[in-house]
Amino acid sequence: MTPTLSTTATLSTDRRDSHRPDGDRPDAPRPDGAKLVVSSVTKVFRRRGSITEALQFVDLHVDEGEFVCLLGASGCGKSTLLSIIGGLEEATSGSVRVDGDLVVGPGADRGMVFQGYSLFPWATVAQNIDWGLQVARWSKDRRRDRVDELLGIMSLREFANALPRELSGGMRQRVAIARALAPEPDLLLLDEPFGALDAQTRRHLQDFLLGLWQRTGTTILMVTHDVEEAVYLANRIYVMSARPGRITQEVTIPFDRNRGAGIKRDPRFLDLRDRLAELLG
Amino acid sequence: MSVRTATAAAPSALVDEFAEIELVSETTNPWTPSRKASSSTWTAGAGMRGRRHHPLLRIRGSLEIRWRVALSVAGLAVIVVGWFVAASRAGSGASLLPSPMAVAKAIAHLWSNHTFVGDLWASSQRILLGYSISVGLGSIFGIAIGTFVSVESFFEAQIGFLRYIPASALTPVFLLWFGIGESPKVWLIVVGTVFFNVLMIADAARAVPRELLHASYTLGGGRRTTLRRVILRHSLPGIVDAARVNLAAAWLMLVVAEMLAADKGLAYQIVRAQRFRAVDTMFALLLVFGAIGLASDLFLRWLRNATSPWARP
Repeated sequence: MTPTLSTTATLSTDRRDSHRPDGDRPDAPRPDGAKLVVSSVTKVFRRRGSITEALQFVDLHVDEGEFVCLLGASGCGKSTLLSIIGGLEEATSGSVRVDGDLVVGPGADRGMVFQGYSLFPWATVAQNIDWGLQVARWSKDRRRDRVDELLGIMSLREFANALPRELSGGMRQRVAIARALAPEPDLLLLDEPFGALDAQTRRHLQDFLLGLWQRTGTTILMVTHDVEEAVYLANRIYVMSARPGRITQEVTIPFDRNRGAGIKRDPRFLDLRDRLAELLG
Repeated sequence: MSVRTATAAAPSALVDEFAEIELVSETTNPWTPSRKASSSTWTAGAGMRGRRHHPLLRIRGSLEIRWRVALSVAGLAVIVVGWFVAASRAGSGASLLPSPMAVAKAIAHLWSNHTFVGDLWASSQRILLGYSISVGLGSIFGIAIGTFVSVESFFEAQIGFLRYIPASALTPVFLLWFGIGESPKVWLIVVGTVFFNVLMIADAARAVPRELLHASYTLGGGRRTTLRRVILRHSLPGIVDAARVNLAAAWLMLVVAEMLAADKGLAYQIVRAQRFRAVDTMFALLLVFGAIGLASDLFLRWLRNATSPWARP
């Protein structure tokens, strides 16, 4: 199988001023089995009279059990898009659907992991992981079992009673992932989760995330600006460009889920990586 | 250890215990940018680069505990010695500036006096009641202001105006409104401190990182859960800090109130001592104020660290 670089969402740039009103175009047909469907999402920021078009008619979907990366240079609006999917920000127009339901606000069904500093500093590792379960009113026994299970999966058991400030950056992100996974979300949204880590820890956590996905089959949408990370982890990659932020390419990665670090020497991997890097400039 | 500055001109500074280790590592650091090229008069390896100051004079330097204790004791000693000297040279003015011994005697006398505990309790009661109301109101309004832009907009102009009215100027008004009982004193303490508490606690609520709010929301936390379990929890050390800092203003208002209209209380006793020209008693009462302030400060510091060990500096 050869890598396919197909251009989708071909939008003419002169559409800047002609915002399509809601309902002018029906939602894009839901691709078969898609967990997440984003339909012509636009985001416009108005600040002191100046108008910034952060996102322009973004369409994408993520299938059940798929690992999809949003790849783009900083400032292309990919984090804004993830916030909209997470329900933390409102789209100016367009819609986000999870299992067909319209997203109007944040919820535990879309677990999110941020770049850093998002752990509750007063809560221990176990209490952080337990947070969402407590809010969802799980029974005490179920909560204890679930927290214990995640501590095991994340190799965090010996740090269960440590405070976040006693942990290294890599461990903190492991806790953040465990906390987001705890309430069994339909979808895991990762916003440059390894962006603040050193190269070695980053590679380690990439392998870790890959293993987690292989074992649990969670549906994952991850934002990153690291080309190699995206090619290494994803089934598909959406490439975004800035000003206005839109999707310029959709790339299917020719490796199945059961991949390992070995693919990093595969000529197809290297070819994809180089072409994507060139695209990002 | 001598108080000396280690400079390039003083090679003997090398032997200072505090400088030795770091200096050695620095001179062997191959990455130190070379300045040799620009100063050709230097002989390679003979000079020293950079300056290293004594820990006492370093900006944000860290000090050993013995130095810190020694400096605290020295700071107190300066006051006591200065007082002794001033009192002994006062001569005929001795009745205006009592010696530390005389004040110590006055404290002992106060303590044996059965009315003193009553005065102490009367003042403390007013502070406890008034300041609790102030911190309570400050927490409610401060958190609301720091959390909701709508609430902030509503109160911003009001508080901006009201907080510049000197609360002590309200004393006559409050005496008219509330009579001369306990309530004018309690409400003066509230009015004199609540705006400071509101503003400081609002800042604490604003300082809650957005990431934590987002984490709460995406874990299924609603507004109420987020307010209580994230914003309030994160602001708690800030609330205790505000209470600690503004407590001094509460005592200030108490003294104003007691001096104008009271029949018991520490400040009332100062006014009474003035009538008898008992300067030693007045000084003794001032020291009591200082001791109470220090004790409450230490208590609130402890409370902050006990309730929020994660926020320890």
